[in-house]
Amino acid sequence: MNNLKLKSTIQTTWNEYSVTLVFAALILISGLLTPSFFSTNNFMAIFRNSAAIGVIGLGMTFVIIAGGIDLSVGANFAACGVIMILMQGSLGLPLPLAILVTCISGATIGFINGFIISKAKLPPFIVTLAMQVLLRSIVMYLTKGATMRGVRDPAFTSIGNGSVFGGLPTPFFIFLVIALIMHIILSKTKLGTYVYAVGGNEIAARYTGIKVDAVKIATYVLIGLMAAFASIMEVSRMASVSPTVSGVQYELEAVISAIVGGTSFSGGKGKILGTILGAIMLFIISNMLIHLNISTYLSGAVKGTVILVAVLLQKRQD
Amino acid sequence: MSSLLEMKNITKSFHGVRVLQGVNFAVNPGEVVALCGENGAGKSTLMKILMGIYSKDSGEITFDGVTLDGHNPLKSLEQGISMIHQELNLVESLTIAQNIFLGREPRKPGGLIDFQRMHTLSQDIMTNLNERTPVGTKVEDIKLAQKQVVEIAKAVSTNCKLIIMDEPTAVLTDRETDMLFELIHKLKTQGVAIIYISHRLGEIKEICDKVTILRDGALVATKNVSEVTEHQIANLMVGRELEDSVIEPFSGDEDDIALEVRNVSDDFLKDVSFKIRRGEVIGFSGLVGAGRTELMEYIFGLRTVKQGTMLLNGKEVSIKNPAEAIRNGIGFATEDRKRTGLVLIRSISENINYCYLISKVKAFLNSKKIAENAKAMIKRLNVVCTGPKQLVQDLSGGNQQKVILSKWLLVNSEILILDEPTRGIDVGARGEIYEIIHDLARRGKSIIIVSSDLPEILKTCPRVIVMYEGRITGELVGEECTESNIMALASNLQEAK
Repeated sequence: MNNLKLKSTIQTTWNEYSVTLVFAALILISGLLTPSFFSTNNFMAIFRNSAAIGVIGLGMTFVIIAGGIDLSVGANFAACGVIMILMQGSLGLPLPLAILVTCISGATIGFINGFIISKAKLPPFIVTLAMQVLLRSIVMYLTKGATMRGVRDPAFTSIGNGSVFGGLPTPFFIFLVIALIMHIILSKTKLGTYVYAVGGNEIAARYTGIKVDAVKIATYVLIGLMAAFASIMEVSRMASVSPTVSGVQYELEAVISAIVGGTSFSGGKGKILGTILGAIMLFIISNMLIHLNISTYLSGAVKGTVILVAVLLQKRQD
Repeated sequence: MSSLLEMKNITKSFHGVRVLQGVNFAVNPGEVVALCGENGAGKSTLMKILMGIYSKDSGEITFDGVTLDGHNPLKSLEQGISMIHQELNLVESLTIAQNIFLGREPRKPGGLIDFQRMHTLSQDIMTNLNERTPVGTKVEDIKLAQKQVVEIAKAVSTNCKLIIMDEPTAVLTDRETDMLFELIHKLKTQGVAIIYISHRLGEIKEICDKVTILRDGALVATKNVSEVTEHQIANLMVGRELEDSVIEPFSGDEDDIALEVRNVSDDFLKDVSFKIRRGEVIGFSGLVGAGRTELMEYIFGLRTVKQGTMLLNGKEVSIKNPAEAIRNGIGFATEDRKRTGLVLIRSISENINYCYLISKVKAFLNSKKIAENAKAMIKRLNVVCTGPKQLVQDLSGGNQQKVILSKWLLVNSEILILDEPTRGIDVGARGEIYEIIHDLARRGKSIIIVSSDLPEILKTCPRVIVMYEGRITGELVGEECTESNIMALASNLQEAK
C-alpha cells in the first residue's frame, strides 16, 4: 500500500516536472563536460540567441494547445524582416511607426491563416504550408534573392544588441516579458481557458457556446504577432535579412520548443514555462557542441535525439 | 456442471485505492449472466482484468480448464473470450466481411487474401445471426444495430465461448433490442455464454439467467434472476431502499409560456410547433432519427432552418449560435458526453465553468469565484471526485453527467434541454438526476427531456410530445401517457390513441 502511494507520488512529481528535470540534467552534463560552459558570458550568449525562437515558440504553444500548427511562421518571420527594413530604409518611416507596421503585417498573415483554417475548415498543416511557400517566394522576390541591408539606427540596434540590468541581453528580457504576458493570457483569461477547451474537444467547446472559430483565429493572430516581434529583434541585431537564411526552419524549432516543453501535440495541454525551458534547451545543446568541439553539422542529430527522449518520457505519463 | 469461467478472490488497486476486493464471479456454458452495479462499482475493472487489459493484484482466473494469469487481450481472444464495447471497434471504411476477418483473413496459397472464401464464410455467419445485409457493404453504410451484429459475428467467427456485452442496448431502438435478444437466445442454444452488463433492469429480468451484483468493488450477491425483482436488484446495487420517483403534474401558470417554437421546417424538420410553460417538464419521444435532436439543435443555435420562428417569453428571438442561446437562458446537455458534452482532458472545475465564463463580459478570470463555483456545484450535485482539479476523464459516467448538469445550473438556465440525461448511468445516480430535474421545475425552470428510454419519459414527464420522421405526430398529457400510446405515435400508426 505504502509502496503504491510512493510510486504514485513519484509519478505525479515526474509528470509535473519532467521538463525541468531534463533541463537541469542537460545543464549539469554540459557543465561537467565543458568547464567553460558555466560562465556568465556563455549563459548570456545562449539567452540572447534563444530569444527569437523562444518568442515564436510562445505563439506556437498557443496554436498547438488549440489543436493547430503553424508552419508558415519562419517565412512570416522573414517577411516581417523585409517589411521592417523597407519601412525604415526605403520609406524612411520613424522607428515606432515601422515597428507598428511590421507587427500589423505579421498579425495579418496570422489572421489570414486562422481565417482560412477555421472558416474553410481546412487542415492547418496544409494551409500554413501553402502560406510558407507563398511567403518565401514573396521574400525572395522583394530581396531579389540577395541579403538586404537595414538602417543602422543606434536606437534600433540597441534592442537586439543591448543589455539591461547590467548584463541581461535585451532580447531575452523582452522574451521573458512576452512570456509572462502569454502566461497570464493562457492561465488567467477567458481566451486561455477557451484555447485549452478548443484543443481538448472542439465539438464540446462549440456545444458549450465557445466561439471556436474566433478562438482559433486568435491563436494564429498571436503567433503572427510573435513572428513579427522575433523578426524585429533579429533585424535590430543583424541589421539585415537574408531570404535564404532568415527564419529558415524556425517553425520546426518553435514546434520543438513547445513539444519538448510538455505541450501535447494533440492539443488541450501545455504550459508557457515549459516552452521557455524548451527554447533555451535547444540553444544549450548547440552551445555544448561548440564547447566540446563537435562539428555543428551534428547539432541536428543531438537535437533530434533529445526531442525523441523528451517525448518518450512524456509519453509514459499517458 | 463445471463452470466455463471462474474468477476467484480477485483484488485490484489503482494508485493505492482498492477498486476490487475479493470478488468471485462464475459463468457456466450457455448461460447469460448479468453483471450489475452502480458506476464505479468495479464492473468494467473486473471485465478488463478478465480480458487481460489490466492485470490483477491477486486472485485466480480459470477459463475452460485453463488458468489465465498475466494474459493479454490477444490471448483472451485465442482462449475464446470476446468483448463487445459500447463504442464499437469497427473500421468504418472496410466491408462487413473485412471487419469480421480483420487480421485473420483466409489466404490463398501464396499469401494473397482469399476474398471469395472470406465472403462466403462471413455471409454464413451473418445469416446464422439473422442478418441479411450483403457482407460486401461498407460498415459506414449500415445502421448501428447492424454494426453490433457485425461485432457479434466477429466474436462468433473466432469460435468464441464467452461474449461480454457492455450496455449493448443503450443505443438501440425497442425493435432492434428485441432482435438482439433473439440473437442472444440463439447464441445460448449454441452453447455460447454471455456476460451482460446493463443498467436496464427490465432487460436483465427478460434475458438473463443469473445476476451478479457488485457494490464499491465488492461482491454483494449472485442470484437466479427468477428469484429477484427489479426493485430488489436496484436495492442491492445501491445498498439502500430506493424510492420510486413520483411524477409531479404541472402546477404552474398555464399561460406563462417560456418558449414557443412555430412552424420550423428544413430538410429534416417538417412544420414543427410546440410550447413549454415556465416550471414545466416535457418529454420528447420518438425513434432514433425522428428529428428530436435536430429540433433541439435548432433551439440551441446549432442549426439554421429554412423557416420558422422562436419566441422566448412571448418575444421573437433569432439565435444564431450557442453563445447567444446561453445569453438567452437556454441550456443544452447533449446526449454524447464524450463527443459534445465534455472536454475530457481538462479539469472538473474548467468544465463546470465554461458556460459561466461565456455569460461574463470580462476578459480576465476571477479565480476565486471560479473555484467557489466548482466547489459549490460538486457539493450540490454530490459529484464523487478527488477535487475540482481532477480531470473529467477519470470520473464515472454518472459523475460526468453531473458535471455537465453543473455547467448549466451554474448559469441558471431558464430553459434546459436534456438529451438522454441518464444514458449509461446507474440507478442511484439516475434517481439523483431526476430529483435535480424536479427541483429545477419547482424553481420555475422549463425542462425538455429527450429520451429513448420510455420508462424514463413516463416517470419524469407529465406531458410528452412524440415525433416521427421530422414532424410532431402527437402530444400526450397525464393519463394518456402510456407506453403503447407513445409507441403508436412514434411509429406513426394510424390507430393511434
